[in-house]
Amino acid sequence: MANEKIEQLRASIEKIKLGGGPEKIEKQHKRGKYTARERIDMLLDEGSFVEIDAFVKHRCTNFGLDKKEIPGEGVVTGYGTIDGRLVYVFAQDFTVMGGSLGEMHAAKIGKIMDMALKTGAPVIGLNDSGGARIQEGVDALAGYGRIFYKNSIGSGVIPQISVIMGPCAGGAVYSPALTDFIFMVKNTSKMFITGPQVIKTVTGEDVSAEELGGAMTHNRVSGVAHFVDENEEETLNRVRRLLSFLPSNNLEEPPVIETGDDINRMDDKLNEIVPENPNKPYDMKEIITSISDNGEFLEVQPYFAQNIITGFIRLNGKSIGVIANQPRFLAGCLNIDAADKASRFIRTCDAYNIPILNLVDVPGFLPGTDQEYGGIIRHGAKMLYAYSEATVPKVTLITRKAYGGSYLAMCSKDMGADMVLAWPNAEIAVMGPEGAANIIFKREIKNSEDPITTRAEKIKEYRDTVANPYVAASRGFVDSIIEPKESRPRIINAFDMLASKRENRPAKKHGNMPL
Amino acid sequence: MKKYRITVNGKTYEVEVEELGKENTVSKATTTSPKKVMPQPKVEKPKTVAKPSEPKQESKPEKTETKSVPQGAETIKAPMPGTILDIKVNENDRVKEGEVLVILEAMKMENEIVAPRDGKVVSINVTKGQAVNAQDPLVSLE
Repeated sequence: MANEKIEQLRASIEKIKLGGGPEKIEKQHKRGKYTARERIDMLLDEGSFVEIDAFVKHRCTNFGLDKKEIPGEGVVTGYGTIDGRLVYVFAQDFTVMGGSLGEMHAAKIGKIMDMALKTGAPVIGLNDSGGARIQEGVDALAGYGRIFYKNSIGSGVIPQISVIMGPCAGGAVYSPALTDFIFMVKNTSKMFITGPQVIKTVTGEDVSAEELGGAMTHNRVSGVAHFVDENEEETLNRVRRLLSFLPSNNLEEPPVIETGDDINRMDDKLNEIVPENPNKPYDMKEIITSISDNGEFLEVQPYFAQNIITGFIRLNGKSIGVIANQPRFLAGCLNIDAADKASRFIRTCDAYNIPILNLVDVPGFLPGTDQEYGGIIRHGAKMLYAYSEATVPKVTLITRKAYGGSYLAMCSKDMGADMVLAWPNAEIAVMGPEGAANIIFKREIKNSEDPITTRAEKIKEYRDTVANPYVAASRGFVDSIIEPKESRPRIINAFDMLASKRENRPAKKHGNMPL
Repeated sequence: MKKYRITVNGKTYEVEVEELGKENTVSKATTTSPKKVMPQPKVEKPKTVAKPSEPKQESKPEKTETKSVPQGAETIKAPMPGTILDIKVNENDRVKEGEVLVILEAMKMENEIVAPRDGKVVSINVTKGQAVNAQDPLVSLE
């Protein structure tokens, strides 16, 4: 008798594990996609996954759905470990009714989100779903609503990561959008609010699904996604790598990993990296990888708004968020997209106790009507807000230009930087020498017999008197002027000094960040 | 109209003073305003005059269209307004991904516009020293 019950249990578990059945699984594989269970196995430490709610069933009786079996409700949920640390995971199963989301499917996701919040561990969602289970009507919608609500409540408490591994359309996109990071897989993942067919009927516009909401669209154009990889294995590996930079929750510190890189390592290359001519670009990423432990750098949003670089490095084994201007792209100036990208990243770092390093070479805000009409004032203000609001240690290194409003927007001393370092070639001023000389010495240049020479002289005069780090240092806006090659030890030293930093803000419900 | 008697150095003058009220100044303004209004029709006129020039504007994109050559070619566009400082490639050159095509001076920076992929330069849409706007086509790759 007892054995019979056990046999029964085994059989039903076997059945649930098969999801939509061998045919559907084969179809999934043919699309270059793994099944929900295969993905979880790849993501988590081997053998660590514990499934919960495998026996959950839907309650819908509409349209003959009561006669339909939906193994696992089209989603596999549970917990396990990544590098030995607890994480919760849900994986939508496309082989079961297209991974469609109904009331109980949503309830399963909601349950692990609640548990994650209680235990202070990250939630990773592997999305692969055709959308709402239409037969369930408003119950399915309610399911989405509850997930969005939990996403918002958990935001800034536990890291939430969304991995798009198939279609994710309509309202379904908003759960990933509310999480901290979105990963996409080339060719197989798609995200859009309205699909190509709807667009075709409404506006007559012809656009392919890939062009509309493919991985590169959201990584390069819209900035919705943060990472893209060639295939599912690489994507899931990157999720594991990202987690190594994040704490399990907002009350913990990120993990410290011994890297073996000498904290006093200097790099002579840095003394030469900035060209003599201030109009010549260079690659800021070389500076980042020179400073970081073993040159490791996990770039976040590498294809979007490339004029600003965001990402994670380790310094002395500790997780650090980097925000850096990229002179090689759009002259490194700030625009709407760059401001959005940077401020989002600053807030992510601050929420999860990750100190911030700013590498500054910024000529200003990008001029133009499209920027002004697009609300660069509103978007640029986000950076000021995010930096001021952040209480994590903030270190700023000025490698070359730091002009006007953009100097402030890149976390100057007055915007809350705890330590500002500058290289000796830094130009910190209200505006560039050319523009400034034209205004200040307008009359002298106009009345000169040789205006070109006079102008050049005046530009030099301005550069020598104002556009250098010494004026700012004499006021204390720059704490120290350092030799470029000693950047790594000096920055590590500054973060060590700041490790016990405590800064309180007035109690409030929440600020009113310009959005 | 008010009359005043003013005595200066023993001599008496009778002075009539007219007060210029707000109405008068307004009427003055209206007398000047037609002058201001005058240029307006002038401004409008060029608009109507501009019509014949519209085909010219239309012909411009046509030119670039013919320049930006065949289907399948990818047009590299200016990321921001600036001046073409240098063109590093010639038509029919084969270029590798990351190779510099054009140097665009903007925001006081010599921005290197690089090839997004390997390919052949099928057309160059700009000349040295030319001012370009954001999204203007620079080079077409095949």
